[in-house]
Amino acid sequence: MRIKVNWNTTSILILLVGAAWIWLSRVPSLSASANGKVAPHPGFQAPDFTLQTSQGEMVTLSDLRGQAVIINLWASWCPPCRVEMPELQKVYQAYHDQGLQVLAVNVTSQDDTQAAVKFSAQLGLTFPILLDLDGDVSRAYRLQSLPTTYFVDRDGIIQDVVVGGPMAEALLRVRVENLLVKVGS
Amino acid sequence: MMPIMQIGPIAVPVPAFLIILGIWLGLALSERHISRFGLSSDLLFNLVLVSFVSGVIGARLAYLLRYPQAFTGSLRDIFSRNLGLFDPFVGGVVSLVVSAIYAQRKRLALRSTLDAITPALAVFAIALNLSHLASGDAYGVPANLPWSITLWGAQRHPTQIYQTIAALLILGYLWPGRKLVANFKPGEYFLRFATLTVASSLFLEGFRGDSSLLPGGFRLAQILAWLSLAFCLYAIGRLIPDTGPK
Repeated sequence: MRIKVNWNTTSILILLVGAAWIWLSRVPSLSASANGKVAPHPGFQAPDFTLQTSQGEMVTLSDLRGQAVIINLWASWCPPCRVEMPELQKVYQAYHDQGLQVLAVNVTSQDDTQAAVKFSAQLGLTFPILLDLDGDVSRAYRLQSLPTTYFVDRDGIIQDVVVGGPMAEALLRVRVENLLVKVGS
Repeated sequence: MMPIMQIGPIAVPVPAFLIILGIWLGLALSERHISRFGLSSDLLFNLVLVSFVSGVIGARLAYLLRYPQAFTGSLRDIFSRNLGLFDPFVGGVVSLVVSAIYAQRKRLALRSTLDAITPALAVFAIALNLSHLASGDAYGVPANLPWSITLWGAQRHPTQIYQTIAALLILGYLWPGRKLVANFKPGEYFLRFATLTVASSLFLEGFRGDSSLLPGGFRLAQILAWLSLAFCLYAIGRLIPDTGPK
């Protein structure tokens, strides 16, 4: 009987200490976890960049604030990148009018500009192909594997990262619809 | 942080590799000590296989039912290898239910079965925390400490390392070869593991920088861990006899 009583008392004490720790380790409302910090990880602000498109125009990520953005880092020699590009095009066509932008950042520092342009022309891609000539964007996004895709909401916050591929069209559709719900909210 | 390891032309996703390694090593440890819990290794592997397959099918079906419109244009995506097309929560529930049915059909005692898989769970917990360290997930709040790590643009509590150390200590304390474990009652081994695991989660979650928050700034994982801890302590209390030694 004594063992049982001791156990019950100990359990209650443990639970009281646990409850106190929950109270003490609350997160103050103004100090949200990422708190506007920039990092290529879900919950953080997407690193900003300005790149030239294959058509010679300049595109800045922060100018697209208010739109849902897919940033796809790719290279023309990368087989899964080539497989998922038509899926990206389908999703872009389906959701562009609702506020979706796709930025296909070609890792030109590890690719050939001509090959990238030729590939996008072959597929009839209508979203901008950005050229990361000196690899700055790849470094800012800590690119480890091709392709890598970032789903960025209207506030410029990364909501999801998909490393590797190819991504299925269904996966893209669900991720985009979740981003667009946030756009409309 | 090392999300990808390049081996020649192959890019190995380190977090996934660590999880697979953890499952393999954990099952090997459970198998080595299975006789102590009155089960056969064949039954253990069949149970794990049934649990895994039902979990995968359940997770994909749940995702399909949740987002049917996403698959209408591409039915072949139902069989896609994309890990993002799974509902892990529903998959886990389906896996548990199917495993319970399988265990009942094979007349496996619940407590002994849970005890038998405890070493596997303890090893898996270490692998999971190491996978978080590799991916940079489950990161800590910013802190300037001598042992802080630089992650996602700030000096932070190395919560993944804290949790790995906690999981290692739990495995060390509950190593299946110890005499202590031989004296446990059926179910007590699993309950002690669960109690220590949820208690460490409750404490270490307080240092996390990516917690899901409830109104008032309370951390959801801590509330769930506290409730689980209460259940585990109550269940262990039930194993203690009402009359102690005279």
